[in-house]
Formats: sequence, structure tokens, C-alpha cells
Amino acid sequence: MLGFVARRLGFAVASVAAVVLITFVLVHAAPGAPMLGSPERTLASPETIARQRALFGLDRPLPEQLLRYAANLARGQLGESFVLHRPVADVLAEALPNTLLLGGVALVASLLLGLVVGATQAARHRSRTDTALGVATLVLYSVPVFWLGLVLLLVFGERLHWLPVSGMTSAGIHDSLSAAGRALDVARHLVLPAASLALVQAAAFARFQRSALVDTLGAAHIRSARAKGLPERAVILRHALRGALAPTITLAGLSVPYFLSGSVLVESIFGWPGLGRVAYDAIFARDYNVITAVALVAGVLVALGNLLADVAVAVADPRVRLSG
Amino acid sequence: MRIGALLAAAALLAGCARGPSASAAGGTLVIATTGDADVLLPPVTSLETGINVSDLLFCRLAELKPGLNTVDDSGFRPVLARSWDHPDSLTIVFHLDPRARWQDGFPVTAADVAFTFRTYVDSAVNAPLAPFLAPIASVAARDSLTVAFRFRRWYPEQLYDATYHMRILPRHLLDTIPAARLATSAFARAPVGDGPYRFTSWRAGAEIAIAADTGWFLGRPGLDRLIWRVTPELPSAVSQLLAGEADAMEVIPSRGQLERVQQSRDVRLVPYPSPFYAGVVFNLRRAPFADRDVRRAIAMAVDRQTVVRSVFGPFADVAVGAVSPMQAVWSDSIRQLPFDTAAAARLLDGRGWRRAAGGLRARDGTPLRFTLLVPTSSQARQQAAVILQDELRRLGVDVRIQPVEFTVMERRTTTGDFDAAFVSRTTDPSPASLLQWWSPGAGANIGGYADPVFESLTAAALRARTRAEAAPRWRSALERLNDEAPAVFLFSPRNEAAVSTRVTGVTIRPDAWLATVAEWRVREPQRAASDRGAARP
Repeated sequence: MLGFVARRLGFAVASVAAVVLITFVLVHAAPGAPMLGSPERTLASPETIARQRALFGLDRPLPEQLLRYAANLARGQLGESFVLHRPVADVLAEALPNTLLLGGVALVASLLLGLVVGATQAARHRSRTDTALGVATLVLYSVPVFWLGLVLLLVFGERLHWLPVSGMTSAGIHDSLSAAGRALDVARHLVLPAASLALVQAAAFARFQRSALVDTLGAAHIRSARAKGLPERAVILRHALRGALAPTITLAGLSVPYFLSGSVLVESIFGWPGLGRVAYDAIFARDYNVITAVALVAGVLVALGNLLADVAVAVADPRVRLSG
Repeated sequence: MRIGALLAAAALLAGCARGPSASAAGGTLVIATTGDADVLLPPVTSLETGINVSDLLFCRLAELKPGLNTVDDSGFRPVLARSWDHPDSLTIVFHLDPRARWQDGFPVTAADVAFTFRTYVDSAVNAPLAPFLAPIASVAARDSLTVAFRFRRWYPEQLYDATYHMRILPRHLLDTIPAARLATSAFARAPVGDGPYRFTSWRAGAEIAIAADTGWFLGRPGLDRLIWRVTPELPSAVSQLLAGEADAMEVIPSRGQLERVQQSRDVRLVPYPSPFYAGVVFNLRRAPFADRDVRRAIAMAVDRQTVVRSVFGPFADVAVGAVSPMQAVWSDSIRQLPFDTAAAARLLDGRGWRRAAGGLRARDGTPLRFTLLVPTSSQARQQAAVILQDELRRLGVDVRIQPVEFTVMERRTTTGDFDAAFVSRTTDPSPASLLQWWSPGAGANIGGYADPVFESLTAAALRARTRAEAAPRWRSALERLNDEAPAVFLFSPRNEAAVSTRVTGVTIRPDAWLATVAEWRVREPQRAASDRGAARP
């Protein structure tokens, strides 16, 4: 197991390094330039902008900029945001926990929902319930995340006033609440953005889970379990589900990029102060250091997600051997 | 002349020093904004939210009155300076209000003012507004409450330049920080000011809160707290308003969102003159725009009224020239080129641009064609560009629309890599601001416009001693610009702030929408849990 994890970690480090290199080159090659002045106010004179460019080393040749960036990165320094005038590490340190909370809750919720729906469909294979849930998951899977987010916001926030439409906390009252009250306040704000991310992915999990379970339920060991007179519920939960989990767990690992890219849209729609928002703003402002650092963090998260999925599959499915 | 004392008395009566009654004060104003602040340090703050917040934390020596008269002293009211006088044509001496205090208890002194000037003009600080301070030769403290501004030359807007571009900084808290590190200092994210509000908290990307300084020397502000909530997507920000989670937005810049707000009973639109104008700027360094007649023909072939009504409905006006409705010199009687397609066609015929096969014009085998850059960030400008393209096709001009990201457009226009660009300009109150876009050598003169007649007209306008004297001179300059057509001036959006009906006393100064927020109130019967006060002396 340790050898397997070490090999995968080595591969992950190489992948993340490649992601950072490609991102660095691409953002510098992209048309446009860092927004060092106020949009269309033309307050920043060309001289001011030139000084800013020199200050951030943007007037140096690209290979030199890359070498400097790599040297700083090796020392654990991510540079400074051109727009926010802050160390990039500080920007990420504030935003990352919020994205992990949103993505984590959405991942767990989508997994649970997907498992339940998939198992229900498999248990009632070819029934009306199976068909209805199949159609529902197909529709949900086809829905763009940002559109779903806007619909949820409009219905449950603006029209029904059941849930807050924006932010992570209630303005003006959050800090005066008790610890439990503050947690509940964050939870209420989390519902709509997490649901926007989770519902689409839950549909994907459900479809995979149903398919895997239907295959497993036809296997010999399941027929044996049924022949022994075990109730259907026990057959599914104890015998079929464990073996059928592997594809879903693999998919969960592969879904980390989905949650990260989805968070860019969802966090913007719901004003959730996370990494997606930071990336969104940085891309439009050509804040190179922030964009590259976000790519670095995203690369690490994706690599970790895959690694954890591999390990989890091995734990869930005894047929899997960690050999490569 | 000693007019400051008189002005101070007028200001006290006008309200800036008159605090609200204890029963009326209180409440929290939640402001929905689509962008976070960058820093809260006036010399280097450049994003809209940062400017709005720091404007309430730091004071100027004097403020413009609502009429935005930038020429006469009568257009200003005292703030940190209790009075001022002009001992000679190159000097203004300010007498500070001895009651003014930093929020850590230190007095605001003349040394703070001199330090502020040095900071703004220090190239290591790289303050975007530094070029506006170039006419000021020096700022020196004469005693703890007297400070003298010495100018390089005489001009009528000396007081405006001395007061409008700088918010005074606390020397005792900043003079140990190297100038180049001011923007990244802890102070820039948690400042100590001298304004009606004090900084409370900032959760990056989420929320900034400030609280009333109940002991402010000019009187307690009306609202206990102001909270900016950051929601990047405009529809979501408007939803915050409609759901009652926010009380106000500076401006609703989209027709669709304006119509949503119009349907609400809890939110009302508050119109105020816009500081913007938008239009298509030609690159005069490139053919065919070096030719004045071609530019005039294109300008005359565009039915601007149709463009504006189609894109904005009732929420914008045709631009009268390179001037925004906020500016005092704006007038709908400024002479403009008429919409006259026949005259436009004659002009092009006269310059040899004849209709060829397909109806498009060409000269010596070269088609009359140009590429129009339009920012993808502006749906309105993209829609207007399509209508403009259709209208110019009828004249025989082939327009190719190229939507580009905002940063790409900025890059290409500032380096001259464009034929024509659909730009928007935010003016400041002084009509002199138009020189930064249309004066030869000015960094933002992207089209390379240069005209000695326009130069002499603006020079004459800049010498006018009173607003009455200045207005017709600026008008002549603007009309000359319209005649020369370095751009097609298309529209000025009507600024509409959205404010909850529970907020009263709302007036808006067009150049700074929260300049009068100290007078705003939240109706007592409609106060909620979030309105519980956080004001501190």
C-alpha cells in the first residue's frame, strides 16, 4: 500500500508541476494585460501602469519571469496579487476553506443522494419508479450548473424567502449570534450553492450506481445470497452495494475537477467567498500570480482526490490489488 | 480674502455638521455590490467599492457642494479645513478645524496634510491621481493648524485640485512605512480614519463593515452601520435587494435588471445624473479615419436616437458630446452633427469613396471597412454595435465587430492596435477632465486626436474665473470636438440607484453616490435585528 501511495504521490507532484508550468505560460500568452488601473476611468496614466509593471517584474522576458516564479515557489512564496495588493498565499488561505466547505458538503450530499437514488432504481429495475428516476436524473445531469443555481436562487431565495440568496453569513447579525447560531447561519447560506453543485453530480452518481448495481445483482454470489433466503434489502445493502461502489467511488475522485470548476460559477452567483470567486476575478483582471496559484491548488486537490479515490476503491472492493 | 468662515457657517446650517436627533439615528444600510475592494487607502485605492468605503473613512479638506461647481470657491463647503484664503494668486492657505480628530484620538494637523501631499506624489506609491496634483509645487505646514498650498501657475480650479484629489492621511500611523509598501501594509486593510465612519471589519470577497463614529467632529452620522455585501453576478445582487437582504445598490446598469426592480414595492429607483458617456472612438492614425470627412460621414449616418431607444429604452440619453450629464457644462443644446444619411453619402462620394458591387464603398480598390472593438463585459455596447453596423452598411461602410475581453480592449486601445473602439468614459466633476481623453499627448487619448483650435478653446475655458464665464467656453470646445468627430458620441446611461423603501432622506451626489449618506435614515418602525447599532464614539 505504501509503495503504491508513494508512486502515486510522485506522479501527482509531476502532474501539478506541469499544470503550474502550462498555466504560467498560457496566462502570460493570453491577450490582454494585468488590470493595473481602474476600468475605463483612465485614472492610471501610462507612466503609472509602466511603473506598476516594472514593480511586479512584468517588463522582464517571460523565461526570466518563469525562473523567478519557480525560485519563489520553491521557497514557498506565491507572490503578490497585482490587484489586491496582498500576498497570494493570504488570498488563498481565506478563500480555500470556504471552497472546501462548499465542495465537501456538495460532494457528500451528491454521493449520498446518488447512492440512494441509484440503489432504489436498481432494486426496482425496469419498474415505473426506475423509469421516472432515470428520466429525472437524465434531466438533472443535462442542466447547466449556473442555470440551476439561478433557478434555485430565484425560487427559494427571492420568491419564497426560505433561504438567503447570497453570501456566507447574514449581514449585520452573524457576529452577534451564539456559536450554534453562527453555524446554523452558515448552514442556511450553504444550502442553495451546495444544492446547485450537488444535484447535478448526484444525477451522475445515481446513473453510475444504478448501472453497477444492476450488473452486480445478476452475479452468482448475489443469486446464492437470495437462494439462502436473505431479504432483498440485506442482499442489496450487505452484498451487492459494496462491490458496486467501486465505479461510484472512482467517479467521486474524478468529480473533484467538476466541483472546482462548478464552484467558479456557483460562488459567483451566490456571492460565496471561495476559491472559484478568486479565480473568476483574477482571470478577468489578468492577475497572473493569483491565477497560477489557483491552478496550483486546484491541481493538488485533483491529484489528492484521485489518490484518495484509488485507496477508497481498494478498501471497498477486496478484488482490487494496489499493484501500480 | 477670507471667505472660509462664511462658508463654514453656511455648511453648519446646510447640514454636514448637524447631527440627526437621537431618536432618528440608527439602523444598518446593507449595500449590494458586484466587486470587492482592493485596499482602503485613498492614494492607491482604485476599485469602486474600495473608493466608496474609504471615502467615508477619510475626509477631504473641503467638499464639493451638490452643484459640482469646480471653478468658484462658493462651490465648496468646509470639512477638515474650517476656512481658507488666497493670499496671492499662487497660494491657498487652509485653516484646519481644531476639533478634527483621527479615530485613535490624535488631532488632525497641518503636518498630516503635508505628509498626504508627499505621499500622493511619491512615485514609489504610484497613486493613480498623482498627475492631477502636478500643478501644486509644494504643501507646507505653517503651524499645527495652518497649511499652505503653493501652485506652479494660476488657474481658477486651484481649490478643486487642492481638495478633490486627496483625502488626508494620518502621518503618525504611516510615516514609518516605506512608501512602496503602503498598499500592502496592514493599515491599508484596517485603516484608522478621520471621517464620519470608522472601519470595523473586512471579510475578503464577502463583506466590509464600517460603523458610525458618534463623536465625529461635524456631527453624528444618521446610520449606525454600513455593510457592503459582495455578489459578483448582477442578477444575484439585484435578487439580494428584492429578497430584502440588501438595502441599496449604487447603480443598476442593465435594462432587464432595472425592469425587475421597477416591479418591486419594497425597492425604489433613485435617478441621478450619470458621470458616464460612451461612444465609438476612431483611431486617427489609421486610414480612413485620418480623413475628417469620413469621420463626419460615419457620425452623421448613425441614428443615435434609435440606437439608444433600442438598447436602453427609457434608461439612457443620446450623448451630446464628450461630456457627461453630471458635469455642470452639460447641455442638451450643445451643437451636434445631425443625423443625415444623404449628407453623409455626399461627403463620402466627395472623398472618392464610391459604392461598388454589393453596395459597399471603395476607393482605388480599397473597401471602406473597419473593425470595431467591443468589450464582452458590456451587453449594451454589444447590442448597440450591431445596430450601428447595420446603419453603416446602408451607407456602404463595412463594420466588422470584434468582441474582446476588457483587458484585451484596454491593451489594444492603449497601444494603438485598433481601428475603432466602443469605449465608455467616467468623467470627474471638472470639465477639464475631458483633456485626458482628447488632448494631444494625454495617455488616454487613444485615438491620437490633435487639433490646435480645440486646444486654444480649452485653454481659454481653463482660464475662466467663474462658472458663468467658463460654461460658454467649454461649450465651444465641445462643439468643436463634435464637428471634428474623432468619435461618435452615442449614449449616456441614466444612473438609477436602487434603495429600499425603508431608507429615507436619500439624496445622491452624482460623483460620489454615498457623499450624503450621513443624512440617510432607516425608518424606525422598519428596523430589523440587523439594524441594532454598532456605532461607537
